[in-house]
Amino acid sequence: MASGHGIPRVSGAIHDHSQEAQDKVRKQIDQYQTVERDVVQRIRTNDFSNDTLQLTSVLLKQNPEYYTVWNHRRRIFLDVFEKEVSSKGAVLDSGPSPTDQKDAEAAEKAGLTVSQREIQLIVNEDLMFLLPLLKQFPKCYWIWNHRAWLLATVSKHLPVSNALEQWQNELGLVAKMLALDSRNFHGWGYRREVVTNLETLSGQSMAEQEFAYATKMIQANLSNFSAWHARSQLIPRLLSERNASSADRKKLFDEEFDLITRALYTDPYDQSLWFYHQYLMSTLDSSNKNSPEILKPCTNAERIEYLEQELDSVMEMLDGAEDCKYIYQALLEYTSRYLEIGSGKTKVTTIEMNEWLNALRKIDPLREGRWKDLEQKMNL
Amino acid sequence: MSLAAGPGRGRVADGQLPDDLKLVVDKHVAYIKSLDTRRDELEYHLTEHLRVSGIYWGLTALHLLGQPDALPRAGVLDFVFSCLHENGGFGAAPGHDPHMLYTVSAVQILAMLNGFEELETKVPDGKMKIAKFISKLQQPDGTFAGDEWGETDTRFLYGAFNALSLLGLMPYQRPNDAPLIDVSAGTAHVKACQNFDGGFGLSPGAESHSGQVFTCLGILAIAGELDSHLGEEGKDRLGAWLSERQLESGGLNGRPEKLVDACYSWWVGSSMTMINRLHWLDQPRLTKFILECQDPDEGGIADRPGDMVDVFHTVFGIAGLSLMGYDGLLEVDPA
Ligand SMILES: [Zn+2]
Repeated sequence: MASGHGIPRVSGAIHDHSQEAQDKVRKQIDQYQTVERDVVQRIRTNDFSNDTLQLTSVLLKQNPEYYTVWNHRRRIFLDVFEKEVSSKGAVLDSGPSPTDQKDAEAAEKAGLTVSQREIQLIVNEDLMFLLPLLKQFPKCYWIWNHRAWLLATVSKHLPVSNALEQWQNELGLVAKMLALDSRNFHGWGYRREVVTNLETLSGQSMAEQEFAYATKMIQANLSNFSAWHARSQLIPRLLSERNASSADRKKLFDEEFDLITRALYTDPYDQSLWFYHQYLMSTLDSSNKNSPEILKPCTNAERIEYLEQELDSVMEMLDGAEDCKYIYQALLEYTSRYLEIGSGKTKVTTIEMNEWLNALRKIDPLREGRWKDLEQKMNL
Repeated sequence: MSLAAGPGRGRVADGQLPDDLKLVVDKHVAYIKSLDTRRDELEYHLTEHLRVSGIYWGLTALHLLGQPDALPRAGVLDFVFSCLHENGGFGAAPGHDPHMLYTVSAVQILAMLNGFEELETKVPDGKMKIAKFISKLQQPDGTFAGDEWGETDTRFLYGAFNALSLLGLMPYQRPNDAPLIDVSAGTAHVKACQNFDGGFGLSPGAESHSGQVFTCLGILAIAGELDSHLGEEGKDRLGAWLSERQLESGGLNGRPEKLVDACYSWWVGSSMTMINRLHWLDQPRLTKFILECQDPDEGGIADRPGDMVDVFHTVFGIAGLSLMGYDGLLEVDPA
């Protein structure tokens, strides 16, 4: 079964059964279907005019999930772009006019050909059309999809410097969207896409800049899970681009532990903070094939040293937070790794492990099946 | 099959005790059957871009409820065929452009209704035509685009594998013919979407999400690489992440710190079934949550108690119950 929401959260039911209300709905349906039929008919007969474009706007404002209409919109633009590139002139404008001379001058001033400038104007106008829609339907996949297509068009037809500027503006827009909803999946995904495009166009990495952005987002709200995730993704890249020595790597690793430990002491009940702690700890886990690399090389002695350090630190967090399940989970998880690689070390006793597990079972009975399996796995 | 929400809301009937909650099977059947009669609502028309998927959801729910014939088979098949394009792809409704999502729904409906014979009569070599529409959407990096406009997504990759296996045209199902798609390039991409926490994201680098976990596990399962890729350690790690999706209400969320939603009963539950960790969820509590999302009077299931019901949450709520072996429901295939 394919995943996907996209079901309107509004009721379709007619609560008002009066003749008047029913007539009103009937009229709305007729209006919608008239525009819909008109668009379909026009596209079928290759009428890629400005009028057709306006009609798609009417439909999409009412129903941005209508993917076929987005396709029609792109068909109209492609037709215009093709004519522009083969310099037959735009069809969206009405015939030759005294503005031709002005257009040529404006294009020259912008360092573009007339057709490039025309494409830029069209794209910008459509990006503007999308803005209010994005605000109203921030989770509509097809709007983001269309935006990415418009920007890709810019990359394809315009000089690199113009394309860069356009994508740079886009980064500003995503920042605004994420400021409104810092967990928007499409927003973060789109941000990665924008950054990738900027990096490809400029040939320059943006890892440092993006790392700073993630830091800023975390400072604004410590429990921003998505921002911690973004940070975790950037660190390995950052280190390799900095050509970091093993000492540099260790320094950053220690700083990250400082940062997250301070945050955890403030709020050990915050799941997103534990996510980041687990991320750092996973870099010490050679059995996890998805764990990223921070320390390089990473010796067993170092693994044991960090595991001991963090076990101590997490144990201290228990003080005053004895009902915090994440602490016990972390203690058990890190201990099991510690015992695996630090054989012979007796920092943690079986009694302690049993205590942690019992506490966990009491606090978190929802996951009893998991704790039972864990008990067996750890031979408790 | 209307995809508009409502009219009812998920709630517990007045005076009913939590332990007395029961799936109102007949009412859900009636609710789904009523969905096609709601053409007098604007939302019926505004959701046409989902129609064929809506029919698949409705049909699946009816199958699980033990009423597979509640919708007229011939009528459904006619509608599905009317969505088929020359290039082998299906749109969501007649006149809508072909897209992977709706092609997959159409193939799923044909498989469920044993309609492939009718397809071949109507369109000679129809199965192969559909398979070629799908295989042409595969990109050099193993991913699949949704349509000619090129956006890729692990949902489309899962859809491609799922539909081709239902058509019997996955490479392993016809070892003597040239493969239509590159399976290992696809699974390599899926593996690149996995995070250190054991979960999978929408693309490499994206945070883990239960919906993506489901599609990625489904892909690996169809390709026969699930056990070898994850191993017991990997299943423990992913199982732990998935089990944390259950909250006090008994319901499941899609990723950390998000609201619970009945449809995740399916995405999370089936994922946990695929890795043999379903017992890491509190199943009685989850069952209770799903039942609290149903409208006990008019049928249908909502995402959360108090919200309006719709066919999407109805099928995935019921599928979740079926995974947990709810009495009287047919067993569902987790992938
Ligand atoms: Zn849902």
